[in-house]
Order: sequence, then structure tokens, then C-alpha cells
Amino acid sequence: MSLQFLADGLFAGALIGLGAVGLTLTYSILRFSNFTHGDFISWGAYLALGTVGALTGWIGPAARFMPFSFGWPLIVGGLLAMALTGLLALLLDAALFKPLRRTGHGIVMVIASFGASLALRAMLEFLFTSEPAYFSRAIQIAIPVGLGIRVTPDQAAMMGLALVVVIAMHLLLTRTHIGRSMRAVSENPALARVVGIDVAAVIRATWLIGGALACVSGIMLGLTVQIRPQMGFDLLLPLFAAAILGGIGSVWGAIIGGLIVGVAEAGAVQLIGSEYRSAVAFVLLIAMLLVRPRGLFGVREG
Amino acid sequence: MTGVPALVAHGIEAGYEPGLPIVKGASVTVGRGEIVVLLGPNGAGKSTLMKAIAGLVPIARGTVTLAGAEITQTAAHRMVRLGLAFVPQTENVFTTMSVEENLVLAGHVAPASVRAARLAAMLELFPDLARQRGLAAGRLSGGQRQMLAVARALMIEPHVLMLDEPSAGLSPKLVRDVFAKLVEIRASGVTILMVEQNARAALAIADRAYILADGRNRHEGSAAALAADPDIAEHYLGLGGADASVVGRSAP
Amino acid sequence: MIDLLGYGAFFLVNALIFGVLCLGLNVQWGQTGLFNVGVAGFAAIGAYVSAILTTPDAADRIGGFGWPILAGWLAAMLVAGAAAALVGLATLRLRADYLAMTTFGIAVTIQVIALNATALTGGPFGIAFIPRPFSSLAETPIAFNAANLALTGFVVLGLFLILETLTRSPWGRVLRAIREDEAAAASLGKNVNFHRLQAFALGGAIMGLAGAMQAHFIGFIAPDNYLSILTFQVWAMLIVGGSGNNRGALIGAVIVWALWSLSSLAVGTFVAPAFQARAAALQIVAIGVALAAILLVRPRGLVGERATVSRDVEALAGESTSPHEPVRD
Ligand SMILES: Nc1ncnc2c1ncn2[C@@H]1O[C@H](COP(=O)(O)OP(=O)(O)OP(=O)(O)O)[C@@H](O)[C@H]1O
Ligand SMILES: [Mg+2]
Repeated sequence: MSLQFLADGLFAGALIGLGAVGLTLTYSILRFSNFTHGDFISWGAYLALGTVGALTGWIGPAARFMPFSFGWPLIVGGLLAMALTGLLALLLDAALFKPLRRTGHGIVMVIASFGASLALRAMLEFLFTSEPAYFSRAIQIAIPVGLGIRVTPDQAAMMGLALVVVIAMHLLLTRTHIGRSMRAVSENPALARVVGIDVAAVIRATWLIGGALACVSGIMLGLTVQIRPQMGFDLLLPLFAAAILGGIGSVWGAIIGGLIVGVAEAGAVQLIGSEYRSAVAFVLLIAMLLVRPRGLFGVREG
Repeated sequence: MTGVPALVAHGIEAGYEPGLPIVKGASVTVGRGEIVVLLGPNGAGKSTLMKAIAGLVPIARGTVTLAGAEITQTAAHRMVRLGLAFVPQTENVFTTMSVEENLVLAGHVAPASVRAARLAAMLELFPDLARQRGLAAGRLSGGQRQMLAVARALMIEPHVLMLDEPSAGLSPKLVRDVFAKLVEIRASGVTILMVEQNARAALAIADRAYILADGRNRHEGSAAALAADPDIAEHYLGLGGADASVVGRSAP
Repeated sequence: MIDLLGYGAFFLVNALIFGVLCLGLNVQWGQTGLFNVGVAGFAAIGAYVSAILTTPDAADRIGGFGWPILAGWLAAMLVAGAAAALVGLATLRLRADYLAMTTFGIAVTIQVIALNATALTGGPFGIAFIPRPFSSLAETPIAFNAANLALTGFVVLGLFLILETLTRSPWGRVLRAIREDEAAAASLGKNVNFHRLQAFALGGAIMGLAGAMQAHFIGFIAPDNYLSILTFQVWAMLIVGGSGNNRGALIGAVIVWALWSLSSLAVGTFVAPAFQARAAALQIVAIGVALAAILLVRPRGLVGERATVSRDVEALAGESTSPHEPVRD
């Protein structure tokens, strides 16, 4: 048996983990499971596709950073797309979730997000059809790294990026005022107001960050697989599983949960074939809810 | 009481659901540098009145003024910047954050140049907290938690400090400690409005007191006078006549 | 004219089957406040169970037991109800969001099984030749559709009456009490979680029945019938009708299904074939936006509901009792 599945699983897991970080943040601060998070991932990928296309159209084709499949347009375009995806999340909040928060029907927000998710996805299908799109068609040569494992340069770059993002998130939450405010609102919104925190501003920051992180996982997914309107929604169950596994509100938990889900999926593919891959996340989710609902690193139950 | 009072709540009507007032026209005035205590039976609406003043519960009628400026509909997080600090009755610290993080978070409204000095001053004022500064607040004892909540409120160097039952759940020794701290804090120029069930100790340090029942003012007067009134002592303070006279003598 | 009548009957059968799905969701969400985003999964369980049991023997597939249709329906209810009970067992004691995620997960998983357990489910091609009620009348569509309408109408009416009786029974009152104030219901000695479990299983069984009814009416099922769009449609119907209200659930089903069918018809007729996929996507965007708009503007539904129900809903969302208080900004 080759250990390749482990590398593949860790890579998929890093990607799931990044998505789950955004999900766990919005969940713990806004207090509802947001079904549109998967679609933010898809939108992020398409927005990046658009910004990269616009940049190369404007300045002309750019050289790749060898040995990677991408050049500086993806980096600049990616940053732009992150901002745009954050903005999209912010817009959706202003149009839908904010008024629902006001009327106070908490659980109604979940079904509203389910409807919004469908609309966002169908919108992508309308704009881009369900034909897959690609950042680059360059073929990547996988490099052997020992133990029979091969990794493409892009995959290695993405793993590095995931690590950087998580460390940045950790520092944000523990060292900056906005990060501490986010934790404060997630624990006790009323007390947060008492200590002078503008909860509305924290909510805006949360959507911006959540959207930007979703965009990063969308770009990672698009670089290594392909870009489809369904891609984020198909990732939603693994995202939920990772967030629950790690414990709602925990950034490191979400990443570790993501890695567990990714490796478990890859292992299952190795053992029973790829058909039942998407059921693995469900099994992990149920198992965790039965055994330890607050997750591995969670401080409280939801 | 001279000049403009530090805090005036006039004819406040407030509650959690529209059309269902819990506070039904209560009024409280706190003069500059005073300690005023709010007494009353459980469920009288004392906490609701405090939360309404602090901007956490919507006010349907009435006005709140802070040093003469109206703040009735000001958002809670802005009140802090105006110098009004509030320590709620329950859940008054962030349990998942360390002691120091609780203080730093609250101190953020202050100019960056003075934050570090204030943190140091608080840790000096509350040596217990200094020893536990890295500990998650959820792991503090009840008394230490109360200290942290007070310290957190003081981080903004408030003009007016509102406390909802600061002595709840504390041992008699700690009650004395907390109240001694409050006297110290008042001496530094802070005006204090507090709710207390520990009527004897509260009246001992207070200048004036209000008794609230069913959301309305029932009695008010100097702390000494209220404590000395046997009728009030029996009905609202749970103090026997003898106790009342003790309090009456010891009140400032 | 005859054609139109036949189509009318065909439309109504489909709409009423959606109505059954709505009644199931109403037991869970409307009456008890339990969240389910896996409606499609439970319908799929019912459809596949009944199809496997009632189809004639097939060489390439396990199953094909040739059972009578009614037996298939009952088995569908049983298995879907049991699946709901299992999900409930795992999640009902937790906060509502976990139920949402789990039901979403079960729908995805059922979809995966339907797609891949080819030996049992026929894989992506599904199961055909499912026996249809009154198939002897299939030569004359109008008679066939009319007979099926009568049957479906009979089932819906029976179900409606049963559910109305249940709603008014002491059991139904306990459910509403739980929804209004969980703590108070528990303090009265009601086993809150067991009551919820019963309601969730009953709702799941009803969805299973609807799935089976639809499978037998169309005569063919495939995994694609049970995507999340189905769940979404049922939610839209219940929300339009006003949750908590059985009559509203049925009315909502007919209204939404009529709008859906009409817009599909319009897309099919007026849009050039090359653009139909895009137009269908736009149709989904429109219904998604419409649902969100209804939630914003008339959270209690377009048709409206009885006063007691709206009070229950408020209690559910109330600040002090709900575990689900949203953050306010
Ligand atoms: N969050 C809330 N939502 C709805 N009603 C509330 C809420 N908090 C308090 N109440 C109601 O308001 C009334 C007054 O409560 P409040 O907390 O103001 O009383 P209190 O005078 O502070 O009592 P205690 O001395 O016990 O603290 C009570 O009847 C209580 O049920
Ligand atoms: Mg109180």
C-alpha cells in the first residue's frame, strides 16, 4: 500500500480546514450554521478566475513562477478576489441576515441561508454554466518526496499557504483588538457591548474574514482540481464535519478537524473505493456528535 | 449634592418585550461623588433598570442624562466612551479569556498611550488578579471573578460606575473587602450606583438609597434615615430594629 | 379540453404528493420546531424502499420482490421513520443547528448510496417499472390520472384528518408546549426528548410515504430526483403556507408547485434550447430570492396561520427561552 493517500488526504484536509475556519468563525459569532459558506468558496474561485483574467487581459500574459503553475496575476488577483468575496458575504448579510437578526428568529436564518445558498449556486450556473473552468491547464509534474509520496509544486505551495493563513488567524484572534472582540462577541454579545465593543462592526469583520478565507479555499480547490458552480456546496458536509470535530469557535480545531476529515476520506477511498467518499464526513460528524458534541477543542456545546 | 448630578434616570419605563414594562416609571438621581444604593425585593426590576440605563434594555419612556447630557437612546458600546461603566449581575467576565485579556479588551477605549499604565494600576489595586493574570477567567473563584469584573469596569476610568450586586455570593470577609475597595474607588472621584441585597453593608457605605418595588420607587432618602426606619427595615431590608440602629450609627 | 383536465389531474396528484411532504415537515418544524434540511433524503428512502420491494424480479439487481403497492408504502414509512428516529437519537438533545447539519448529511449520504449501490438501487439509472396504481387504466391518461387523483386525495385527506386530531390531542399539546417553553414542559414531567423523537420519526415516516407515492405514480426513480432542490421546494411550500398549519402546508404545496410548473413550462416554451439550462438556473435563483423575501417580509407565511401558532412561533424565537437567540447588532 502506498502512502500517497496520506499526502492527498492532508492536502484535501488543509483545504477543508481553511474553509472550516471561516465556517466556525461565522458560526460562533453569528450563532447559526451558514449553508452559504460552501457557495462563498465557489464564488471565491470564480471571482479569482475573473480577476486573474482581467489582470492578464489588461497587462498581458505573465510568466509563471517556476515550478508552479501560476504567476503574480493569481497572487494579486487572489487578494482582490478575497476582498470581493468578503464583500459578497457582507452584502448578503446586509440584505438577508441582518434584517432576520433584527426580527429575532434565530433558526429561521439557517433556512434562509439554505435558500440563499441555492440561489448563489444557481447564479453561478447561470453566469458560467456547469462546464468546469481552470486557472491554468499547465500540467504539473509531481515530485517524489520520499516514502513513495509524490507532491506537485502547487500542492506544496498551497499547504504552505494554509499554514500561513492559520497562523495569521491565530495571531489575529489572540493579539489584535478586533480578534479579541470577535472572541468576546462569540462568548457573550451583551457583555461585549458593555465593554465598549461595537457588535455590528465585529459582525462585519467576521463576514469579511469568513468570505476571504472561503475564497482562499476556493482558489486552492480551483488550482488543484477544477472550478465548478457546485464545488463549494459539495464541500459543505466535510466543512461542517471539520468544524464540529474541532469544536465550534476553535481555529486550530477547525484545521485539525479538516485534516482528520481529509485523511479519513482519502483512507476510505483507498480501502473501499472513491464512490462513498462523501459519506465519510457524515459518519465522522455523527460519531462526534454521539461521543463528544463539543468537539476536540471546543469550549462549549455550540 | 451640588451642581449637575452625575447621573439622572427620570421616569424610566423599560422591559424585554414591547408593551410589557418591567420598570414602570422609576427615577434615580446620583450626585457627583456619591455612592447610591438601589434596594428592593427579588424581581423588583432593579437589574432591568440598571440594564436600561446602560443601554442593554430598550427604554420606552423617560430620560437618562449623564452629567447633564442626554444619553437615553445611546448604544451601550458608546456609553462606555462617555464614561459610564457597568458591571452586570451575572456573566460579567469573559470566561474563555485570560484575566489580562479581559482587562486589555476593556481598556481599548482609552487612548493607546495610557492603556499599559491603567492595566498596571488595576493589577496593583487587585493583587489577587495580578497573581492570576494568565488564568482563564472562567477558572477564577467567585470572589476573584467579581474583582475582575470591577477591575474591568474601572479600566475605562469611568465617571460613573454602576454595579449590580457586586457582593453576590461572596463570603462576609470578601464582602467587606469589596465594599472597602468601593469606598477607595469613590475617594478617587468616581460616582457609584449599585444594586445590593446585602443591605446592611451597602447602607453602611452609601450616602443615599432608593427602594424599588414592582418597577416603581417606593422609598428614598439618606442611607442613615432609611436604615433607621424600623418599618422599612422590616419590610425591605430584612434587618431587625437593633441591626438597623447599628447601621444607622455606622453610616457616614 | 379533455387533455387539460387530464393535465390538471396529473398536476394535482404531483402537488398533493408535495403536500404530503409538507405535512411531514410540518409535524417536525411547524408543530415541534425541529429543523430538517434532509427532506429529500427521507423521501428518497421511502421511494427506494418501496420500489425495491414492489418491482418485479430483475436479473441485474437485488430486490424485485413483487410486493403489493400498499405493502411497499407501509415499508417505506417504516424505514424512513426508523432512519429519522436514528438521526433524532444522535442529535435531538443538541442544539438545533446540529440537527440541520445532520439531516443535510443524511440527504447527501442517501444520495451517494442511491448513486453507487448499483446492485440495490440501479445506480445512476435508477429503478424503472415501478408498479403504478391503476396501471390497467394507463391506456386512457385521463382515467388513469383521475383514478390516481382520487387515491392521492384519499390518502391526503386521511393523513390530514389524522394529523389534525393528533395536533389537538394531549400529545400534540405537549409538542407545542415543548416548542413554546422547553424548560416549562420539562418541569411538568414531560420527557421532552422522547416527544421530539416521536415527532421527528413521524414526520420522517410521512416523508417516506410521500417519496413512495411519487415513485409509484411516476413509475421511475433516479438519484437526481432527490437533490437538495427538492428539500428546498418543500421548505418554500411550508413557508408560503405558514408553518404550524396543516391546511396552510397543503395550500402552500399547491401554490408553489403551480408556480414552479408554470415557470418550467415557460422556460421550455419560450427559451431557445441552447439557453434552457441557464434559464432553469435563473428559475432557481428566483425561487431562492422569493423564499428569502417571504422570510423577511412575512415570516409567518403568505396564507397566514392561526393565532395560537404565531404565538408559539414567537415563544420559540423568544429571548429567554430559545437556545437560539441571535446576536443583536
Ligand atoms: N432577559 C429577560 N427576559 C425577560 N424577562 C426578564 C429578563 N430578565 C428579567 N426578566 C423579568 O423581569 C423582572 C425583573 O427582573 P430583574 O432582574 O430586573 O429583577 P431584580 O430586581 O434585579 O431581582 P434580583 O434581586 O433577583 O436580581 C422579573 O420578573 C424577570 O422575570
Ligand atoms: Mg437583579
